[in-house]
Amino acid sequence: MILEAKELNYYYQDGDMRRYILKDTSIAFEKGKFYTILGQSGSGKTTLLSLLGALDTPHSGTVLFKGEDIKKIGYEKYRRNHVGIIFQSYNLIPTFTAVENVLIPMSITENEVPEDKKTVAYNLLDYIGISKEKADRPVNKLSGGEQQRVAIARALATNVELILADEPTGNLDEEMEQEIIDIFKKLAHEHEKCVIVVTHANEVAVQSDQSFLLRKGVLTSNE
Amino acid sequence: MGFIKRSLLSIVRNKVKSFILLAVIIVLGSLIAGAVSIQQATSNVEKNIKERLGAAATLELDYEKLDSLSEEEWMEIELQDIDLETIKQVGELSYVKYYDYNMSNYFGSKSIKSFQGDDVEYEVEYEGPSMDFMLKGINYAPVLDFEEKKGKLVDGRVFSQEELDNGTYVAIISKKLAELNNLHVGDTLTLVNEVYTFDNKTGKEKLVNSRDIVLEIIGLFESQKVKEDADGNSNRGMFDWMDIDYQNTIYVPNEIVRSETQYQMEEYMKADQEFAEMWEEEGSSFEHYTPMYVLNNPEDSEAFEEEVLPLLPEFYKVVSASDHYDSIAGPVESMANLSKYVLIAAVIGTVLIIGLVVLLFLRDRKRELGIYLSLGEKRSKVVSQVVIEVLVVALIGITLSLFSGNFIAAQVSDSMIQADNSSMDDDVIYYSELQPDLTTDDVIDSYEVNLSSSYILGFYGIGMLTILISTVIPLIYIVRLNPKKILM
Ligand SMILES: Nc1ncnc2c1ncn2[C@@H]1O[C@H](COP(=O)(O)OP(=O)(O)O)[C@@H](O)[C@H]1O
Ligand SMILES: [Mg+2]
Repeated sequence: MILEAKELNYYYQDGDMRRYILKDTSIAFEKGKFYTILGQSGSGKTTLLSLLGALDTPHSGTVLFKGEDIKKIGYEKYRRNHVGIIFQSYNLIPTFTAVENVLIPMSITENEVPEDKKTVAYNLLDYIGISKEKADRPVNKLSGGEQQRVAIARALATNVELILADEPTGNLDEEMEQEIIDIFKKLAHEHEKCVIVVTHANEVAVQSDQSFLLRKGVLTSNE
Repeated sequence: MGFIKRSLLSIVRNKVKSFILLAVIIVLGSLIAGAVSIQQATSNVEKNIKERLGAAATLELDYEKLDSLSEEEWMEIELQDIDLETIKQVGELSYVKYYDYNMSNYFGSKSIKSFQGDDVEYEVEYEGPSMDFMLKGINYAPVLDFEEKKGKLVDGRVFSQEELDNGTYVAIISKKLAELNNLHVGDTLTLVNEVYTFDNKTGKEKLVNSRDIVLEIIGLFESQKVKEDADGNSNRGMFDWMDIDYQNTIYVPNEIVRSETQYQMEEYMKADQEFAEMWEEEGSSFEHYTPMYVLNNPEDSEAFEEEVLPLLPEFYKVVSASDHYDSIAGPVESMANLSKYVLIAAVIGTVLIIGLVVLLFLRDRKRELGIYLSLGEKRSKVVSQVVIEVLVVALIGITLSLFSGNFIAAQVSDSMIQADNSSMDDDVIYYSELQPDLTTDDVIDSYEVNLSSSYILGFYGIGMLTILISTVIPLIYIVRLNPKKILM
């Protein structure tokens, strides 16, 4: 298991009441597989993903990365060395170019990165479908689909094995959506990554190797 | 893309925002720099002028206080002289560098001419006894006027203590007087001590007795206070007149003035019985001394005054050279006040406005900071990145405002001093024993807006600190949040 969540609890305090978003949620993921977690809007998908990516911390329960508690690894360190996160709203630095956005995590991570970072960044973007000409544009001058590709390239730049994505195709049209999904499949199957995508779209879920359903804070297998 | 490179890149990429921040810093910085420049310049003036005014002090009757007395009170009081004891007691105070006390008296001469200016074509003929020369009695051998640069010994020597003690008939005269009469060191000059009575009925003076005062010239002095500039200064006439007076001053041991005055009194009393009786009755003395103290430090004058006042008889006061500062520094003082208020307002305004601008600047970038955090960047580096960004802009802004502020200060000062000065009816001229020739023009001349290194350092320090604090506080508030709160 590359990633495991054990009995995660997450709630919002509502007066005297605790409104649980996640209740004793447990889940496990392997390398080389493309996972989806399906749920309606407001079901807690983003919450779960942010706990898996250490963007937030649970009220109780643990997340284990290769068997080690990420709290022990250190949330910051876990984020910079072990996980790549893709957001629905891309979250790129708007004034920087595509290639600069890809270069940023390479200078933050402690993972080994090749000497000629810039060439690697261009190659990575090219592989994801961003030409050299577009790579040198400020990202706010790229289309949504192109921006999400840049975000994927950024997530891959530190050479991590774990990719988390929060509704990565939510803002894209169907054609774009399919291209992005194809990239995820390729990453899982050809590059041995563990790709976890949360989505409300069934057509995304059906293309994954394994799918879970999140309802009222409870996860079930989605067969 | 380390954080330093990111911050520099951000400055360039966010041109508009950087420029707004820069503009705000320059505008407010100029205001502060201007106010500080003016403050600094005025305090320079104060120091400068007080130094030039010197550390001299004397004891005088307080005429203002006497004037305010009613007629009855006036009849009651008995004005005492300051006796020699008191003068010496004050002279022994630790504030005093050296001091002198002088008697002076005027005498005429039959053999030498008095100095009447460099370019006098006609000679003024006087009827009756001439009193052209002032003998100034000296008790301090090196001559206080020379030490204090009123005059300068250019030939010969000053007195010896022995000459002062014995009242030897030696004199130091001005070089101009010597040249006029073809006198040299070693020559003698003769004054005449004539005693007259005045007949009220006939309106005529009658010579009672006279004796010669024969003085050996031991030194020549030149006046130091004459301004060299020949610009059409409207005050020149005044200074010339004062200078002529000084050129005809003859320094002698005080004992000579005392004994010559005594001779005058005695001869006069022989001729005027009535006066002699009255004099006798009142027990008056003809020994009137004007003391002159030079303090170690002009700043001591207040403390000196405080200590001396209890020692003095009633109705006397201490007059210090630096007292005149207020009367001549009017325009500069009003600038200092104005700049003080501008400075206070500017500092408060700057802290508020810079704080707000930086806050807006950061609010806008909150998401960006969240992205760096989500990529696992250390909080300290995220903070550093933005701090560097703001400080680089601030550094440029402060540097520019230092110069623009200084420039503005110079312009403002110029026009304000001009306006202020021309609105005054007359330049204040203070002429006394203490200070012959400082005017408002001198004050304005010594007013100079310039940059001292401590001021520059202070300005950078305070400026950077203000901006640093108003950046770091909201930054820390942001990076404390977890990335989900910022981003999702
Ligand atoms: N700050 C908050 N306070 C209270 N409830 C919140 C807050 N943020 C989110 N929620 C609630 O938590 C639930 C889960 O949110 P989220 O994980 O974003 O769902 P999803 O991503 O599946 O749409 C939602 O019902 C939402 O209303
Ligand atoms: Mg969501």
